[in-house]
Amino acid sequence: MKIGGYEIPEGLYYSKEHEWVLIKGDRVIVGITDYAQKALHEIVYVELPLVGSKVKQMRTMGTVESVKAVSEIFAPISGKVVETNQNLVENPELLNGHPYTDGWIAKIQPTNLDRELKSLMNAQEYAEYISKLEE
Amino acid sequence: MSKTPQKTYLYKFHVQKGRMEVFAGFEMPMWYKGIIPEHLAVRNNVGIFDVTHMGRMLVSGPEAEAFLNYITTNDVSALTPLSAHYSTMCNEHGGIKDDFVLSRLEEEKFLMVYNAGNRSKDYDWVVNQSRSFDVTTKDVSDNIAMFAVQGPKAEQTLQEISSQNLGEIKRFKCGWTELAGATSFVSRTGYTGEDGFEVFVWDTPLTSPEKAVEVWNEILKAGKEFGIEPCGLGARDTLRLEAGMCLYGNDIDEDITPLEAGLGFVVKLQKEDFIGKNSLVKQKTEGIKKKRVGVRMLEKGVPRSRYEVWKNKDKIGVVTSGTVSPILECGIAMAYVPTEHATEGEEVAVEIRDRFVKGKIVKFPFYDPTKYGYQRKT
Repeated sequence: MKIGGYEIPEGLYYSKEHEWVLIKGDRVIVGITDYAQKALHEIVYVELPLVGSKVKQMRTMGTVESVKAVSEIFAPISGKVVETNQNLVENPELLNGHPYTDGWIAKIQPTNLDRELKSLMNAQEYAEYISKLEE
Repeated sequence: MSKTPQKTYLYKFHVQKGRMEVFAGFEMPMWYKGIIPEHLAVRNNVGIFDVTHMGRMLVSGPEAEAFLNYITTNDVSALTPLSAHYSTMCNEHGGIKDDFVLSRLEEEKFLMVYNAGNRSKDYDWVVNQSRSFDVTTKDVSDNIAMFAVQGPKAEQTLQEISSQNLGEIKRFKCGWTELAGATSFVSRTGYTGEDGFEVFVWDTPLTSPEKAVEVWNEILKAGKEFGIEPCGLGARDTLRLEAGMCLYGNDIDEDITPLEAGLGFVVKLQKEDFIGKNSLVKQKTEGIKKKRVGVRMLEKGVPRSRYEVWKNKDKIGVVTSGTVSPILECGIAMAYVPTEHATEGEEVAVEIRDRFVKGKIVKFPFYDPTKYGYQRKT
């Protein structure tokens, strides 16, 4: 669905810090939302979590930088990082162009998925959340 | 600062086309298309900035030259009518009260253009210092619109709507012309490192913005064939940083002297007397302890204001401005380091979050001045 110019794909889970989660088998893929990339604009640098490191829900797992500002990426789900998107190192603008596909950030082996999903939003809820932020 | 933010003549345009932010008490566009395309438009073609938020005052009278020589560090006597220079005003300790461009309109009439954030501080200071001089000061910030038209195609753009031949106005010279029929003062100056003009649309009270808006629109129209872009404060900042120019409040303030900031070329110590002279003479004799330098990152990472600069195991300085350079495609910064480390080519590290990222000290501007900037050869 599209709300106020922002893409919000169905089937993903969303955090209040504007990260998305896609469940793929026993792993999750995470990234930042269209809203996040539009707010940052012109992303020039991405710091990815280390593969093998453990991340905790709503704790910092990396950084994205635009020309003007630094923003933290929060882990939307706790677990072990099993893969990161190395394309972002040389092409951080993928986050602006394709936040939900080529601009994915990390794959995580979750440790507490069922419980943590409850604190995330579905597409409908996230759409309402960002339209309130826009007011 | 808690007041309602002020709006410029172009507010409607900015809100419609740009991403707005409050800067120095004004609602200003941060960018329209984006900082990078706007930055590149200025380096390669031409861009236009609304800089009406800046402070502008007229200083006139029989003692205008003597007075300005007393409160500023540059030599006002060397300024012929229709010329401009960059300068600073200092406090008694030699700390910079502000940096600005001074234009001599007539023998006894000057226009001073200073930082938006220092509007009232500067005006009050100048008025207070002027009491024993035969001069008149007038704040014209809300009566003259100000745009910057910058880039290698700036002259061609403005020429299309100018009644006067702008080619006759050389760098740091000024003149009067009509732009789209509106009486305007133009100076061949700017804050981007590029050739270009700063345009002052005369007698345009903020309450009736029509004339200023029309000049802005006509410049955009005239520049269309050259690829003009309206540019926001974001590109203004990356452009001035690449050019090695100071931003007041970041790179210079009342605790830093022009000598430490590398602005010695606007400090004329042979002048009779001026505020801060004794302190500056003393510092010059004793030698400065720290100096503003450029740092170009050798590894990935974006240096930002207040990040620490390290040499081996020692913290030696602090970044005052930093960004990623759209031309060089790497991180660049300004920092103050002890004079013994302020050597071109010296390797340092900037602490970016938990990492030490390698960089080296370079001279300003950051770009190759034979390829970019007003001295470019191509």
